[in-house]
Amino acid sequence: MHIQDCTENTCVDQIQKIFHTAEVEIQRKKRVKVKLRLDLVPLFLSYARDYLNFKHLAHISCVDWIEENEFELIFMLWSYEASLMIMVKTRVNREKPEFITLSHLWPQAETYEREIHEMYGINFKGNERLGEFILEDWEGVPPMRRDFDTIKYSKENFYQRPGREDAQDVRETISKHSGEEVPDFAKEFSIRRIEE
Amino acid sequence: MAFDIKGVLAPFSALKQGTKPPHTVRYPKEKKETAARYRGLHFNDLEECIGCGTCATICQNAAIDMIHVDGFETNSGDSGLRPRVDNGRCCWCALCVDVCPTGSLNLTKDYVYVSEDPDSFLWMPGVDNPEGKENLSFQSAEGKPLLEYERIPMHELEGTERVKSFAEVLLGYNEEEARKEAARCVGCSICTDICPVHMHIPEYINAIANGDDEAAVKIIYDNNPLGETCGKVCTRRCETVCAIGHRGEPIAIRWLKGYATSTVNNADLIEKIVNPEILPPNGHSVGIIGAGPSGLTAAYYLSLRGFNVTIYESKSHAGGMIMYGIPKYRLPLDSIDKQVEYMEKMGVKIKYNTKVGKDITLEEMKQHHEAILIGIGFEVPYELGLVGENEEGSIQAVNFLRNINSDRHVEIGDKVVVIGGGNVAIDAARVSRRLGADVTILYRRRVEDMPADWEEIEGAEDEGVHIHPQAIPLEIILDENKKVKALKYANAEMIPDPEGGRPRPKIIEGDEHIIEVTSVIGAIGQSADYNFIPEDIKNQIEIKRGRIIVNEDQQTNVPWLFASGDIANRRADAISAIADGYRAVKGIEKFILKSENK
Repeated sequence: MHIQDCTENTCVDQIQKIFHTAEVEIQRKKRVKVKLRLDLVPLFLSYARDYLNFKHLAHISCVDWIEENEFELIFMLWSYEASLMIMVKTRVNREKPEFITLSHLWPQAETYEREIHEMYGINFKGNERLGEFILEDWEGVPPMRRDFDTIKYSKENFYQRPGREDAQDVRETISKHSGEEVPDFAKEFSIRRIEE
Repeated sequence: MAFDIKGVLAPFSALKQGTKPPHTVRYPKEKKETAARYRGLHFNDLEECIGCGTCATICQNAAIDMIHVDGFETNSGDSGLRPRVDNGRCCWCALCVDVCPTGSLNLTKDYVYVSEDPDSFLWMPGVDNPEGKENLSFQSAEGKPLLEYERIPMHELEGTERVKSFAEVLLGYNEEEARKEAARCVGCSICTDICPVHMHIPEYINAIANGDDEAAVKIIYDNNPLGETCGKVCTRRCETVCAIGHRGEPIAIRWLKGYATSTVNNADLIEKIVNPEILPPNGHSVGIIGAGPSGLTAAYYLSLRGFNVTIYESKSHAGGMIMYGIPKYRLPLDSIDKQVEYMEKMGVKIKYNTKVGKDITLEEMKQHHEAILIGIGFEVPYELGLVGENEEGSIQAVNFLRNINSDRHVEIGDKVVVIGGGNVAIDAARVSRRLGADVTILYRRRVEDMPADWEEIEGAEDEGVHIHPQAIPLEIILDENKKVKALKYANAEMIPDPEGGRPRPKIIEGDEHIIEVTSVIGAIGQSADYNFIPEDIKNQIEIKRGRIIVNEDQQTNVPWLFASGDIANRRADAISAIADGYRAVKGIEKFILKSENK
């Protein structure tokens, strides 16, 4: 079945009819949000492409939900006929982040997957080009993961320009002015202490 | 061939291009408008900025330093520092802008930066581009900030429910609420400067946010042994300067302190958690007059430093004004008892029911102690100066509150007028409501001039207290049994003070009224009773406007005599008294150890 004049509402109905476990909602005009179990995502994407006519894969994105120990993968699909966007969201376990490649459905998925692999460390099985992409000689935690310490990395790798030695610590400036003596056991909890 | 209409009209279609913008470059050259949210060089509104340094903390490139700028001094509410950006590192992500609590830091449309020095990348927003204010582009959105501007609401009893009993009005945060509220704090420490005691506020709030309530309690007790009291009734000047308060609701610093301290529900547990370092006895002895907040604070920290401390308290309970002045719906009795019990465990000795000047003289005290701290507070109420004020039915608010807090019955009838506009007046009014009376507060100035906390004023109004501003009492009318029957007062108008002070009330002639009352409660201020101080000492120390003049160590002109609390500071609140007590500890230590070394 091809839906030529698919609207937000008919789209939601159609998806719910086929995928009972999907959480579907109209996020705003021209945008439908679908939350789906990981194993149903390839199925859903090929269904959306071939039956609902969402021919274009516009983007693949990722969010690090570190507190929940999960990554969220987001696929943006576009239908030229209905000028409608579907946003498909799914969660991947953060311990062993794995998904399959979509390059058999959309060749451009390969590039998005390479980027996400490099920035978040998610393995897309079947993608044979998951090598070095933008970063050169990167070792350690992928940089878009939330446990990557950006400030530490900046400090270690970027040139510390001379002329910045006059920097002051706000906490110290204020306690010096007021005469407050902050004991060591409290200092552990000063968020702002400049590390020596 | 027919007439070629198309061929005739086609050339005219070129006319429509006349309304479209041209594709060619125009001369003289027109500058293209920069995109509305372009991320160019920083601009900082130096006057708005409070130097909290949140921008420097969040910068993921470590590109922002906080440095001294001429013309800005460290003071209450401003660190005196301003951000400087290393444009060699900045990636214009604008996290600093999004997180700026005051909204002073923004990005401009300017992106051209030219310097003769190839190493010059340091940029002082606002100093290097004072004109940037006219050219802002990327600004921190108030609608979707990275910071939480709304305070977690505090549960409290409804006004109609409150007047039925002396149950505590504020129900306190639960654990989840406290963590959420604490997580709003950016940890800038601006608040610590204005706090009289300079409590380690960002540290204990961060400990709460991290789920470590015990660490929070230990940090609070480092310089305030009455943290639980302050968590309920502090005048919290800290919240008035909170960085978040510039565009949102300040962090509920007082209630978070209340949350942390209330998680510890007995003195043994406080001892276990605080576990302070106690120095061995040093053989020196200090006497303290009055177990109010300042006396208790001094006694506690002196004990920890090895001094032998005795407090002489005229009443049967410790706490002073927080025990006998603050109504129990604001500060329950068991809370005070717990805090005092802990101090006694730490070596503070309190002689109850011992009035200096009656049960023991100051000279006798001096024989036992090397230094003496006076912390007697203001307990003697000012008289209203009205006819009939000493008769039955006319009560002084401090005496009234003391009797109520001592569980004594006070007959006030069902129509009460409270005269005054301070916290004592509000307390007396709210207590009277709880005793079932209709209550009117008469205050000589406007409501906005009332020295009481606005929350207290609001609380009183919620409970049905009627506030009558700009009313001056004239006479208390007595019945045949010399009992208070009615009060005569006049309405007043506010006239501006020619010397620039606050407007003064002036009686409107003829606008006099009489209201029937069963009691009149006076609450127009208090003073101290210095009769216990012998004349020769009184002549040496300096007493100005009822207060003893002390140096920054709380020391009077008589070196062994120190003074603290209401009798030594004009703030007259618990936290200032605690601060006095804390300073006195250092003063007394310095004095005793110095004379020892001679």
